[in-house]
Amino acid sequence: MEGLITSLSELTGTNLSYLFNGKHLAWYASVRFTILAAFFGAVLALLFGMLGASAKRSSFAPFRWFGSGYITMVRGVPDVLFFLFFPLAFEQFVEYLFSLNACTVAERASGKWPPCNAAQWYLSTSEYFVMACVSLGLVYGAFAANVIHGAMRAVPESQLEAARAYGFTKRQVYWHFQVRQMWIYALPGLSNVWMLLLKATALLSLLQIADIVQWAGKLGAANYFPAAGLVHGDWRWRYYIVLFLFYILLTFLSELFFRKLQKRASRGMALDQ
Amino acid sequence: MNIESIVATHWLSAVVNDVIILFKPALFNIYFALASIPLGFPLAIGLALMKNSRSRLWSSFAGGFIYAFRGSPLFIQLFMFYSIALAFNQTLWKPLGIDDFVLHPLFLGPFVLILNTSAYAAEIFYGAIRAVPKGQLEAARAVGMSRSQVFRSVTWPNMLRLAWPAYTNEVVFLFHATALVYFTLPVINEQKDLMNKAGELFEKDYNVFLHFSVAAGYFLLISILIFFLFGLVYKALNKHLQHLSDSTDGAGKMKFRPNYMR
Repeated sequence: MEGLITSLSELTGTNLSYLFNGKHLAWYASVRFTILAAFFGAVLALLFGMLGASAKRSSFAPFRWFGSGYITMVRGVPDVLFFLFFPLAFEQFVEYLFSLNACTVAERASGKWPPCNAAQWYLSTSEYFVMACVSLGLVYGAFAANVIHGAMRAVPESQLEAARAYGFTKRQVYWHFQVRQMWIYALPGLSNVWMLLLKATALLSLLQIADIVQWAGKLGAANYFPAAGLVHGDWRWRYYIVLFLFYILLTFLSELFFRKLQKRASRGMALDQ
Repeated sequence: MNIESIVATHWLSAVVNDVIILFKPALFNIYFALASIPLGFPLAIGLALMKNSRSRLWSSFAGGFIYAFRGSPLFIQLFMFYSIALAFNQTLWKPLGIDDFVLHPLFLGPFVLILNTSAYAAEIFYGAIRAVPKGQLEAARAVGMSRSQVFRSVTWPNMLRLAWPAYTNEVVFLFHATALVYFTLPVINEQKDLMNKAGELFEKDYNVFLHFSVAAGYFLLISILIFFLFGLVYKALNKHLQHLSDSTDGAGKMKFRPNYMR
């Protein structure tokens, strides 16, 4: 590897080994946070989306209100607000539970937060990461709920009627006909939600996660000490341009994937077009 | 006095207090949105027309611009343009004596927001241009209208009317996007926006529910206001079509059903 890099460096006349030093390797490795957050965020968003859509379609009024409220609330407020609010609120909730056992009554009545030091919950990167995934799932779950709700209604009523006429139970009609056929109508919208979610993963650094954005800022900062590596001025713009292109590439790949998926999902479906 | 009674007596006054404190920061979010729309709108129309143009060069340029700015996060775009502006500081802005202005968030924020929103809005307007009724275009050409006349009397009004609900939605998204500006650009003195000030208040007493809820309330309120104002414009755009639909459910009435897609 070392030999390859030096020979490539000589060939191109640039300092390629700079791009493969330890810090840069850590930067490339931090892409995992972005990809994993997008993946788990999407899985949770799909789950919350299904739950939200089911709640909105429920025959029980309070569930319906809850579903509508969830969808409207998240839409009226910026995603970054939820992204910061949810982890902080969850942390405080857990600290409150801790304080019930760990702190005295007088400490809990003092109005300070956390009431006593024993109730303090110190979060590590992995815990922040899990909460970031849940936040992404919650916010984009509301978007997905709206898409799925619309797609459920787009399934031709005659298909469901036919299924009922054949004697399928309510549950079978729901799962094997409505949900099965809903995907094809939901896919374009869900691909849109995925694009939004993918772009929102750039916000991970706001939750103290050392993701690609945070690393880019650190690596690009001016370095005047030869002992710390290559001496260079403020190179942050180069690193941010790389991130800019990286996200465009991710968008492009996602588009290809969803086009394939759409084609696959449309097989054997009685569609108008 | 236990904590429950303190919370009960001060709950409402704490909310009122927060509403007052967060009023000025809300103006910064409103400023960012208001500064971006007047330039973002014509730029978006221009890009949409460019993408629709028959010239390969212009349409691929506009298409590429739209794809790049829709395909990457605004968060990165803000960082990118700020760092590029910094890189040119010594060689360009300082000698020209405009470094304070160019690097100021109140300039750079709207600058990036304009590029961002014009890409999203251009895609909306481009879709609307493609959806202009072909029959009307043919009729206009058949009566001998020039190209600019066809544009003014057929393409433009139809495009605006078709795109308006989606454009309204984009403006709301733009307003929400203003929350990101001060996460990336330097905060100067007390020039803070809603998220910034809410975060600062949170660090004082750790009351996440109060401060973030009031900030969220401001965002919600202004979003509803945008829907209302743009709904009035939509009504005016559809005035001439009122007789086509029955009087109770006019075509000009925009439903308060926000679109979820950006």
